[in-house]
Amino acid sequence: MSRRGALRALALALVALVFSLPPALLVVGSLRQPGLPPPDGFDLVPVPPRFSNYESVFALVPLGRMLLNSVIVVVLAVPLTVLIASLAGFAIAAGRPRLRRLLIGASVLALLVPAGALWVPRFVLFRYSGMQDSLGALVAPALMATSPFYVLLFALTYARLPATLLDAARVEGLGPWRTWWRIAWPLSRPTAFAVALLAFAVHWSNFIDPLLYLTSSERATAPLGLRALATLEPANHGIFLAGAVIVTLPAVIAFLIASRTLFARATEV
Amino acid sequence: MKGAGRLAWPYLAGLALLVALPALLAAGISLTEFSALQPPVFVGVANFARMLDDELFWTSLGNSAVYVAVSVPLRVAAAAGCALLLARRTRPAGALRPLVYLPTAIPEPALALLWLWVLNPLYGPLAGALRALGLGSFDALTDPWSARIALAVLAAFQIGEGFVVALAARRVIPTSLYEAAAVDGARPGQVLRRVTLPLMAPALLLLGGRDVVLGFQTSFVPALLVTEGGPRYATTYLPVYAYRQAFSYFRLGYGAALSVVMFALSAGAVYVLYRLGRRWRYG
Repeated sequence: MSRRGALRALALALVALVFSLPPALLVVGSLRQPGLPPPDGFDLVPVPPRFSNYESVFALVPLGRMLLNSVIVVVLAVPLTVLIASLAGFAIAAGRPRLRRLLIGASVLALLVPAGALWVPRFVLFRYSGMQDSLGALVAPALMATSPFYVLLFALTYARLPATLLDAARVEGLGPWRTWWRIAWPLSRPTAFAVALLAFAVHWSNFIDPLLYLTSSERATAPLGLRALATLEPANHGIFLAGAVIVTLPAVIAFLIASRTLFARATEV
Repeated sequence: MKGAGRLAWPYLAGLALLVALPALLAAGISLTEFSALQPPVFVGVANFARMLDDELFWTSLGNSAVYVAVSVPLRVAAAAGCALLLARRTRPAGALRPLVYLPTAIPEPALALLWLWVLNPLYGPLAGALRALGLGSFDALTDPWSARIALAVLAAFQIGEGFVVALAARRVIPTSLYEAAAVDGARPGQVLRRVTLPLMAPALLLLGGRDVVLGFQTSFVPALLVTEGGPRYATTYLPVYAYRQAFSYFRLGYGAALSVVMFALSAGAVYVLYRLGRRWRYG
């Protein structure tokens, strides 16, 4: 191997090591025995692994109820996100130039708004519309397709449809709704699938919205449970990391399935 | 197609309700004294005047500036570096691409719990490793400066989105340019400096600008869960301060004024970026 080839292999190994570190440490840490005194030296790998941490965490926080709340939010928010993103994406692709500019401009502008600057006014809106402390406040972002990025993703997909298809629909006398439903939507399955998975990961991992807009503990979602675990003694890291793994797993699985579509798009230009 | 706009109405209504209306509302609330228990009272620019004398506001602004100054170049460089390294269509590169994104898929509070353990001076593996090597004790989170730097550096683990964008930017560079460079006998370092980086520059610039805006978000959860804004307010970033004011002390008026400052700073960053991008394109 040439010197350059060896350097490249070394760099690849370094990248592999650095980015596998957080998930690997998360799993290793979650299997360590809680309640021990601080270790003397470096003992990372737990022997024997403590699988019971995964039971203990359910005794410390009502994680079952929280996971159920998260599931409710996701079940409502993900289909709504896909529907609204798909409709708006089709409007961009099939609309006249003026409409297209308006929609793309609004989307880009919305992407550039710092989320933190919307916390206070959204809190006030939810409070005075009776949505504070309801899971509806967590589903609400699905109304704007969760992220304008998903709308643009659909628009790119629909822009690739042959123009003859839309012309044929017009000749048949189909309006925009029926053209979307009969022609565009069935042809955008892969994009819909990828957007659904990405939106799932976003809503499942959402921590800040429930932190700001929920008050009663019976509505808390799973990421909020992790906040409660953060106050545990550091000696109990095995237990709080078990909670972290439980909440992480669905998001990571969704991402790994979506990554095939995502990287195919980004790399096969 | 005629009437296609109607399909976008739900989306536009969502944007109006969840972005445009709150943005206007933030400006309105920032001019009031508002505790959420009593109706708001108009106080003019009193909240902004108060900011000038509020030492903690300036501290949080400085903390956010340090966070951006450290994390943004690091994140953009890491995303670009990984993209260049993994752009080849080889099997190891293909297998590593999802791995680079993987830490980004970990929910923020879960990652925060991981850092709570990893950085713990007694139980953490980092301190353990240093002890085992005889390098003495380690406690990153009790010194203001090391805590500031630590949180900004840890943000470099979640670069998945930037990585995908940089990868796409690298892939659209035509291979004919590299063939021409090879014919001219250019060395690899020259190709990188003269061909690859200049052509990727607009995308990297865009990433950097978005990262400045995003910094108000990525700094929040670790500061809340890992350092609780400390030590000595060293990681009380602007969004953390706004959160405390609005949601712990129920000073919604002041919290909204801090939101307006975040808007203004983001708009400024985007404007600078836009000007830089234009200069790039025209000359």
